Amino acid sequence: MTEEYTTDELLTVLMSREVKNDDIMIVGVATPMVWAAFTLAKLTHAPDAIFHYIMGNSFVYEPRQVTLLYLEMNLHRAYKFQNSGECTLECLPSDTLTTIEFFRPAQIDQYGNTNNICIGDYYKPKIRLPGCAGIADFSMFYSRGQFLYTPRHDTRTFVPSEKLFFVSGVGFQNGKISICGGAGPQCMITNLAYLNFDDETKRITVSTVHPGVNIEDVKASTGFELLVSKNLTETIPPSLKEIRLLREKVDPLGIRKLEVLSGKERMVFLNEIIEKELAMKDKLPQLLNSDL
Amino acid sequence: MDSKLISLKEAISTYVQNGDLIGIGGLSFWRKPICVCREIIRQAKKDLSICTFVGGIDVDMLVGGACVSEVRSSFVGMEVFGNASNYRKGVEQGKIKVREESEASIALGLKCSYLKVPFMPLKGIIGTDYPKVRDDIKQFEDPLGSGTQLMALPKIDLDVAIVHVNYADEYGNANIEGAVWLDDDMGKTAKKTIITSEKIVDTEDIIKLPRRAQIPMQSVKAVVEVPFGAHPTSCFPTYTFDPLHIQTYMKTSFPEYKEKYISINNQKDYMEAVGGSEIIQKISLPEVIG
Repeated sequence: MTEEYTTDELLTVLMSREVKNDDIMIVGVATPMVWAAFTLAKLTHAPDAIFHYIMGNSFVYEPRQVTLLYLEMNLHRAYKFQNSGECTLECLPSDTLTTIEFFRPAQIDQYGNTNNICIGDYYKPKIRLPGCAGIADFSMFYSRGQFLYTPRHDTRTFVPSEKLFFVSGVGFQNGKISICGGAGPQCMITNLAYLNFDDETKRITVSTVHPGVNIEDVKASTGFELLVSKNLTETIPPSLKEIRLLREKVDPLGIRKLEVLSGKERMVFLNEIIEKELAMKDKLPQLLNSDL
Repeated sequence: MDSKLISLKEAISTYVQNGDLIGIGGLSFWRKPICVCREIIRQAKKDLSICTFVGGIDVDMLVGGACVSEVRSSFVGMEVFGNASNYRKGVEQGKIKVREESEASIALGLKCSYLKVPFMPLKGIIGTDYPKVRDDIKQFEDPLGSGTQLMALPKIDLDVAIVHVNYADEYGNANIEGAVWLDDDMGKTAKKTIITSEKIVDTEDIIKLPRRAQIPMQSVKAVVEVPFGAHPTSCFPTYTFDPLHIQTYMKTSFPEYKEKYISINNQKDYMEAVGGSEIIQKISLPEVIG
């Protein structure tokens, strides 16, 4: 049986299912949905996975409640704080260390190349985006590949190569795997579908459509000709347990929703979260276990 | 040895020159030397190149204050709060230049400065458009014959590093309690390092602290005691970032914000203006053991 769920919950659950028990889970800046997904994975099928927080440049084993204001409290039991120089040089994937990191591109083309730099000409951008942080460094050689998501599956996000304004994350360029030796993009999780990459052509392909979504709508929301898997099925929806863990334990304040909401709704919700967190008596976020 | 304790005003007027390449410590909303950003704006420094690992309100403020001609950072934004609008507008209107950096390009650029080598190799960035907009990086093949393709990333020699820390002594031995990011590399390789510290302590105290002085005194020129000097960003484990003030910053026009908050040249008065003991209590973090 499945309960009603929202888009942010579906995306979070689908992302959590990608985590393996021996992964190092890299939590980037301003990505509460990814953080919630990793924390959920630790409470469900990947209890031994380890957080690596870019914000703290530290490794943390214990899962704690997702928080906006008290992130550094979640890091107080980090077993190693380090500087980023070391991080950049040490934490690279090796044969014995697998990492999982989710990138959220502003634009993606049919081969999984991504852009987080600008919309329009680089030197006269219509929109200057914040930047790609470490995506340019790591996207091409994670041995487990790169994992992508967007809560905005539309023709502004999914664009043909010629409309990708800047390549800041490397996919399968010209249908080929990067010379740097990584596995390349593995999946793209959106509000409409779960997409992966065709073995032969390396083009992005719809693997499953979410319950209630029509495949024609997915195609119409994509700015290039979209391949569809021969074995197209429906996405397995979140289980009752996944939903309850997410709502009651991992992220009861719903901080992950900030990645999905926009405009005024978002500002109102942000105010609510800030108010609730500032009023908290115990500013050390709850240590979590999977008991419901 | 002489004490390096001076006022913030004197530190900036003496050690920051127009046109300098300035490294700013911290990351995003975490332990940024915002008190120094305000002083730089008050002194109307010009044409600065700002280099920081992940920028936010620090970069945005300095751009708003018309102090910046170039930004070198892997990311500049206000996290879940939204855009860094002064920065964004500045780039979109061609008022400031961006030297496109990644995390590794800054981390390795500072390593070069240590090693006095012109570049460091990285097995990343290859295949991106970075080489199209950076004529100072170059792909090359491993000269030792493995056939590996590498990207050469150039040295970053900072004129000035600005780092906010938890504890420092009067000579500039500085201790950071939480995450360090690139602050130690910046502090050790810059020609001149300015330390602002929550608290000035005795050298003996620094020696007793875990990890002691991550930034040792030799490159430090000035030490300034500034409690809550990172506000509205965080300084773990004392206080977290101030979300209410960050919202105020984003809602207020820059000239108005400048008049209300940046023009105050005394830290005590500044803290009163942003909410005094009430806000301090709200953002203070509890002591945790273990």
